[in-house]
Amino acid sequence: MPGLAYLGIVFAIPLIYAIGITFFDWNLLRPDLGIKFVGLKNYIDILTEVQTWNTIGRTLYFVIGAVGIELILGTAIALLLNRDFPGTDIVSSVVLAPFMMAPIVVGFVWRFLLNRTFGPLVHLFSSLGLDFLTSPPIFANGDLVIPAIITMDVWQFTPFVVLVVLAGLKSLSTQYYEAAEVDGASRWQMFWYITLPLLKPTLLVAAVIRTLTALRIFDTIMVTTQGGPGYSSEVLSFFAYRLGFESYEMGSAGTVGIIILTLALIFTLFYIKIVGVESE
Amino acid sequence: MNKKFLSAVGLLILSLMLISSVAVAEEDLELVSERGSHTEAWKTLMDNFEQETGTSLNITQYPYSDYRSQLMLNFTGGQKNYDVPYISMLWYPSFARGGYLKPLNEIVERNPELKEDMPGLENAYWEDGNLYFIPYMNELGGVLYRKDLFNDPEEKKNFKEQYGYELQPPETLQQYKDIAEFFHRPPDLYGVSLMGQRSIFLATHFMNRLWARGGELLDDDYKPAFNNEKGIEALKEVKEMFGYASDASKAHDFQDALTEFTNGKSAMAELWTTAMFHANDEENSDIVGDASFTGFPRPEEAKDEKRPMLYISWGFSVAESTDNPEAAMEWIEHVIEKEQFIEAAPKGTIPTRLSALEDSELKSELPWIEPFQEALENGIPTPMFPLIPEGSTIVNQEIASLVSLYLTGEKSAQEALSEAENAIYEILEENNYYE
Repeated sequence: MPGLAYLGIVFAIPLIYAIGITFFDWNLLRPDLGIKFVGLKNYIDILTEVQTWNTIGRTLYFVIGAVGIELILGTAIALLLNRDFPGTDIVSSVVLAPFMMAPIVVGFVWRFLLNRTFGPLVHLFSSLGLDFLTSPPIFANGDLVIPAIITMDVWQFTPFVVLVVLAGLKSLSTQYYEAAEVDGASRWQMFWYITLPLLKPTLLVAAVIRTLTALRIFDTIMVTTQGGPGYSSEVLSFFAYRLGFESYEMGSAGTVGIIILTLALIFTLFYIKIVGVESE
Repeated sequence: MNKKFLSAVGLLILSLMLISSVAVAEEDLELVSERGSHTEAWKTLMDNFEQETGTSLNITQYPYSDYRSQLMLNFTGGQKNYDVPYISMLWYPSFARGGYLKPLNEIVERNPELKEDMPGLENAYWEDGNLYFIPYMNELGGVLYRKDLFNDPEEKKNFKEQYGYELQPPETLQQYKDIAEFFHRPPDLYGVSLMGQRSIFLATHFMNRLWARGGELLDDDYKPAFNNEKGIEALKEVKEMFGYASDASKAHDFQDALTEFTNGKSAMAELWTTAMFHANDEENSDIVGDASFTGFPRPEEAKDEKRPMLYISWGFSVAESTDNPEAAMEWIEHVIEKEQFIEAAPKGTIPTRLSALEDSELKSELPWIEPFQEALENGIPTPMFPLIPEGSTIVNQEIASLVSLYLTGEKSAQEALSEAENAIYEILEENNYYE
């Protein structure tokens, strides 16, 4: 009962309120216009805008790109760290360091690294002859800005996947591997037929958490591009911020929030379905 | 027992009344502001005011990025946390529309000289005829330039040979372009520092040029008025000027452009007047004493005309909910005294009173005050946003995006202008501007 009450207070009431305001035209800048019930108008207005669909597409590009790379890279690093070698602890600590940084700090760090005038990475790209990565500056290049933000996200959150997968690997029973070894299975076969299937619940947790957090990326975009150039790095959460805290259109901002929530639900159901179907 | 109890209650009430009367006599004022150099300047006047009046001042400061939202939530939530919000001129229309601010007309009634002495005051009278905002800091959008380069005999000679006229701070748009081109010697020196990140700063590059050509964002009926030849010319000129800026400028915000200029990497920077404080900051600037300011150039044919010029102002307002309106106004009248302005200015603000700008000591301490004053007198101070609650949305979202989309080549000038025109029309139509 206390648990239900807690959920009601911290989850259900705000959610109902958030859904509720999407049916109203409510602009904090214009209290004289009042709060008007408009039914589904906010949804219709937003979902019939080409710009919204472009933003949804950009958000999916970012989320799928970032989470996909993090899962693959995180699993690979976790497998490496799961072996015993000298200095494992030090390597683990170094690998996990970016995860301990606040996203806004990560934004500032990468803004410095990719600064066109004095950024060390820009100098590296120039010396390697990769001029397409330096001019125009990456954060002013509509084609490269989302890949750059994916890179920042991968840099920061791959350690989270490493941490989760490493915990999963430590909990796996050695019996399966011993039996496979007796049967003459190769390392790859052991990974593909034993490790990966057994890790699926762990990977599901990592994928769900990372997808949900990737969907609400904000700080790094705010610090590096403000959604630009043009709309090239404007994702749904930034769009919601602009509507809510620049235009103060609470109904429209809430509607974008509900779209984000819906995407989060779709992703979660999708992950659960994949794992569920395979385990049946 | 009953009598004793009643006496005790009576004594308690008496004590409470005494305590509260003492509190009223002392009077507290809650000031709220952003964290910025001009706030730091007027904060230095607080102690004196407290000693002179006995009014106790407390201040809450928020980072700029969070400040407007904090105020908005405070007002809409019916909180009475602040008596005197120090705000941007651009914000008062939305706060006034909500009935959150008190009219300050009596300050001008008591100090009629302000009408002549404070040019920005004209913008502070809202559509209902009331004054809700007293400008304290003001600055103009213009050009910071390197005096050492402009006065170098060799540079002067070469410039004259190349362009046929004397090298001097740009007065016309053509001169501005010529000088940027002349000094553009990458990677050691760039012609001009600009702010290309999609933001309000980028929008100002477009608006500077639109206004210089006599254009406007909205007409008197609040209809978008920039989708025309003047808008196209302004937009194309922004792009052209980026050709004389560093590649990095395309991703610059205000601070980045300022840093590039104060690092001595550019001959000019299209910024705002307060950037001069940073250019002369010995700890962070490589060009201390070498920079000056000039108002934004005009087309040749309008060189001597008064044209709108980007005007940025922060100042004081009084919350409608305050319990101490008299003390709040007394504080405002105190800080806008000419002498107080002169005392506070070198600490990080630019006085809004012409009489303070005329002060010879201030001029010798801040030599760029003189060209600033000249620009102020020769232009029409025009706020960055139309002074309506939707002004911020119009410039921050639509105008900034239109310039960015054009610069990246995603849209042609005409497409970008038409798209922004339609979006702005829709916003204002939905909010009943065209009934």
